[in-house]
Amino acid sequence: MVNILIVGSQGDYGLVGLAQRVGDAVVHYLVVGGDATGLERYGVSKAFIVQGVVDEQSLANAVLELARANNYALIISPINKFYRTAMPMVAQSLGAPLIMDVTDLKPSGDTFEVSFNGIGSRAQVTAGVKQPAILMAPPARFKPTEKPTSMSKETLQVKSVGQVKVVSTEEKARGGVRIEDAELIVSVGRGFKKKEDLQLAFDLAKVLGAEIGCSRPIAADLKWLSEDHWVGLSGHKVRPKLYMAIGISGQPQHLAGMMESRVVVVINNDPNAPFFKNCDYGVVEDLYKFVPALTNKLRELLKK
Amino acid sequence: MELIALVKLALDTGQLRVSGDKLDIENTPLKISDIDRNAVEAAVQIKEKVGGRVRAISVLKYGPVQKRVQEAEGLIREVLAMGADEAFLVADNALVNTDQLVTAKVIAAVIRKLGNFDLILAGEASIDGYTGQVGPRVAAELGIPVVTYARELRVDGNKLTIKRDLEEAVQTVEVTTPALVTVTREINVPRIPPLLQIRMAMKKPINKLSLADLGISLGSPMEVKGVSLVQVRRKGVIIKEGSVDDKVNKLIEALIQEGIITRG
Repeated sequence: MVNILIVGSQGDYGLVGLAQRVGDAVVHYLVVGGDATGLERYGVSKAFIVQGVVDEQSLANAVLELARANNYALIISPINKFYRTAMPMVAQSLGAPLIMDVTDLKPSGDTFEVSFNGIGSRAQVTAGVKQPAILMAPPARFKPTEKPTSMSKETLQVKSVGQVKVVSTEEKARGGVRIEDAELIVSVGRGFKKKEDLQLAFDLAKVLGAEIGCSRPIAADLKWLSEDHWVGLSGHKVRPKLYMAIGISGQPQHLAGMMESRVVVVINNDPNAPFFKNCDYGVVEDLYKFVPALTNKLRELLKK
Repeated sequence: MELIALVKLALDTGQLRVSGDKLDIENTPLKISDIDRNAVEAAVQIKEKVGGRVRAISVLKYGPVQKRVQEAEGLIREVLAMGADEAFLVADNALVNTDQLVTAKVIAAVIRKLGNFDLILAGEASIDGYTGQVGPRVAAELGIPVVTYARELRVDGNKLTIKRDLEEAVQTVEVTTPALVTVTREINVPRIPPLLQIRMAMKKPINKLSLADLGISLGSPMEVKGVSLVQVRRKGVIIKEGSVDDKVNKLIEALIQEGIITRG
């Protein structure tokens, strides 16, 4: 029987579902944010509860200490920038592999067979990994089965390393969009010359009942839209029925975020835009002429 | 300031080669991982401001090594033309198919061999693996602090002030050197070197190292068994003939055929 540690907030308990694929395992949970209530339902036998705010380095040290005491075969965490920073430090100190974006896991003798999305989400990779190993995955991908157990709780005081001093934190603006769940997406890129021109896409999206997506420069660089609109490898992954990309060239990092779309429409005046090689319907036309004409025609047709 | 830039020679994910449903890694061209160009640019800008030198380190991860070394040197020349002073390329058959644990150990070994350093810069992630783990791993290996996702970086003596781009917030932090910082694409616009710089870069040294030169031998805790490409078949219907209205009509017809919209 192996020991497994989940590191994450209480809401990341979906990851217990990944741990359960090992079969017979003792599951511990390091709760960063939350009080562990309800975790016993999924067979977590021990919860360590972190008090207060911790930085990545301090958390990494705490995980390392637990790993050395409990000899975990696997340590599992969600994927976000906090854990993307903390967990590699844990992995390096343990001499362990770290596999990102895990889709499946099965034990195979004293090693594990792990499947994951690799090469910028362009490939499904399978690898044999030795213990201990660090796995990272989106918690919502897995559904833990209920197997109630008695769980002990322990409060963990994380020692602050304090090498990196936080001076200030400024919340980002949010548009209140959940682009991941959108059925229809009209997505905008650098083909729009100024922020006001995005109105053309907003009008089209309104007629279609679509959400607005965008490429990296629009959100991260120009900040014309908040980052919850950003589609791509480091933005959001989407899988709508229709993905209409307007004025987006189609860099691999953007494509990786919308590959699972059912129908892809690309509108661009540059016939050599790489996106045309990855679309169902590609319109070679100036977006400033095409988009208003499309909106008008759709408005007539859909009687809106 | 002694600056080090970590430069990945990544698979060009825009030009992946396929054989059957398998990714043909050996025949896929390499390119400098885009975000590492930002790391080099950041390093060169600091050098231009406060003096010092920039040394670039690359670890060749894709075979066949014999064939790739020349390709790798060509790419590293671009980094030298951008303003790096010297480059170190670790190429060894034993590195092909190894994981990031090994990459970080190799990079740390090169850095120890170089001696003094103040600041190590790297991209937030490579464009091929995109796991972003090598930066923090190298920091852990060297026992120095790491600051990830820097979109602004100010150097003031041995103090660094950094704006970190997190999911929900921008965090401003301070750290003293030696440190490792990973940068995002937004930190700068990497320069495109003029011809003169490219010619001059031909004279700058690229030091080739093997694992034996570094005095290390390594085993990877991970063995890749299969890589199959996620292939999405798209129809690829290009609408380019006719007037704007013709094109609108053709697209709408297609969207109706696909069941995306229905006539009201």
